[in-house]
Amino acid sequence: MHERLSFYVKRDSLIHCLNPLTKLTLVLAFVWVAFLTPYYWTPHLEILFGIIPLSFVGKVARSYLNAAVRIILPAASFLFIMQGLFQPIGSEAFFLFWFLHPTRESVMFAFANATRIFVMVSSFTLFLLTTHPSELMSDLTRRGIPGQFAYVIISTLQILPQMQAKAQTIISAQRSRGLDTESSYLKRASALFPLVGPLVFGSLVEVEERAIAIEARGFTSTHVKTSLHDVPDTSLDKAVRWFFIALALIALALRIWLS
Amino acid sequence: MSIINLQNITYKYPLTDSPALQNINLEVNEGEFIAVIGPNGAGKSTLCYTIAGFVPHFFKGEITGLVEVAGNESSKSSLHEWVLNVGLAFQNPFNQISGAKYTVFEEIAFGLENIGIPRDEMKSRVEDALKLTGISNLADRSPYSLSGGQQQRVALTSILVMHPKVLVLDEPTSQMDPIGTREVFGVIRKLSEKGMTVVMVEHKVEWIAEFADKVIALHNGSILLEGKPQEVLTSDLLTDKGFGISRYTSTAREAKELNLWKQKNLPVTLDEAVEGFS
Repeated sequence: MHERLSFYVKRDSLIHCLNPLTKLTLVLAFVWVAFLTPYYWTPHLEILFGIIPLSFVGKVARSYLNAAVRIILPAASFLFIMQGLFQPIGSEAFFLFWFLHPTRESVMFAFANATRIFVMVSSFTLFLLTTHPSELMSDLTRRGIPGQFAYVIISTLQILPQMQAKAQTIISAQRSRGLDTESSYLKRASALFPLVGPLVFGSLVEVEERAIAIEARGFTSTHVKTSLHDVPDTSLDKAVRWFFIALALIALALRIWLS
Repeated sequence: MSIINLQNITYKYPLTDSPALQNINLEVNEGEFIAVIGPNGAGKSTLCYTIAGFVPHFFKGEITGLVEVAGNESSKSSLHEWVLNVGLAFQNPFNQISGAKYTVFEEIAFGLENIGIPRDEMKSRVEDALKLTGISNLADRSPYSLSGGQQQRVALTSILVMHPKVLVLDEPTSQMDPIGTREVFGVIRKLSEKGMTVVMVEHKVEWIAEFADKVIALHNGSILLEGKPQEVLTSDLLTDKGFGISRYTSTAREAKELNLWKQKNLPVTLDEAVEGFS
């Protein structure tokens, strides 16, 4: 299970070749436009003519659509139902049931929000699928983000699955000594205590050792860091970035103009 | 010429009452291979941290005495300069993996990236280091998918690639099988023959007898014995103070009482024992 610690799918595609910053700009522009647009149909256009085609261009359509159908769509639907039912706006209810009274406004609002969230999560998924974390880190450090900051982000991404695995080991160890994890909720809740201790304290000790280990490898060195990976930044990258920045500005202008 | 020079070192960790190291005097010559032995809590790791600069720069606490490596004084240097001269690898390999890299190759390049080595030189240095420790075949694997022994080799390689003058190793073979141990000892001996100074904490006394130039026995934070492996490892003092000793030594000692061991010196390794009994 440790073999796969990132979402990255290795493919040879145009999207994979883009600079990480370009892809990040693209993602942020998508999200920005989805949230700022005055038209409710913009997120649909983004999904139909932006995200889905891009997932094919990036040759990760299978992984993306899989995630979209299994995770993103259910989450967005849940958001839609909750907000549609409980958002206290509008006056004319479609129907009344017990204390639920969805109105035209609340349903529209919920729909717009759900599609925005869908765009947001989808574009980040696409980003993670096509960007190698090491390349992202190299590129961001090269552009002047402090090494410590980049380290925190990237190591968190890796350490979470390890913590999960360790928690599982501790649970198995405690269960083999008779810890009850399957009866009533109260008992299970009290069973959490002997699990949390080793996990938290163990992690603290690990942090110290890891700090020593990276320090021993010159982590706080005052030299300008170099990077193993050459992350190209072409004129195509710059063009794409400016295009999406312009698009984001247009969305902002429309928003101001129309409201 | 001595490359490591410790004079009268006494050190206390913060929030503790008794010193972890007491009056340590140690001189190591360039290219020497020193093994450190001792029971739990004897101060072996603290000694390693002191030579590697983490005591007192990382752990704080009170230190008195002089620590000098390659002509520099620890108290006058900062840790990030110090680690360029002294490489440290320790026991738990899992925590020595940076956690920011996805392949072994990247993992080993991490230190070189930090100290600003140009890309081409970095690649050739990583490749050489991988070859040296015999893990070229792991280069594209994720460091977390490896076994404990393999991770230990990665940890060792990622220090060696920095080309330190002094190598400090705190039980670097604790998770390795006998074949892995032999290979790693072989690598370390090769480096030591090329002139690298090595200080190594190790419990496997038979290996020490075969490879080390000098053995230091630590007990309660002070040096109990210091000398040639053969002398130190067969000393009666070790058994009294709870050190782990070679089974060949203890067998021969019993045999000596029964007048079955006729040699002057007790054996440490199997070969010596076989020779002595035959």
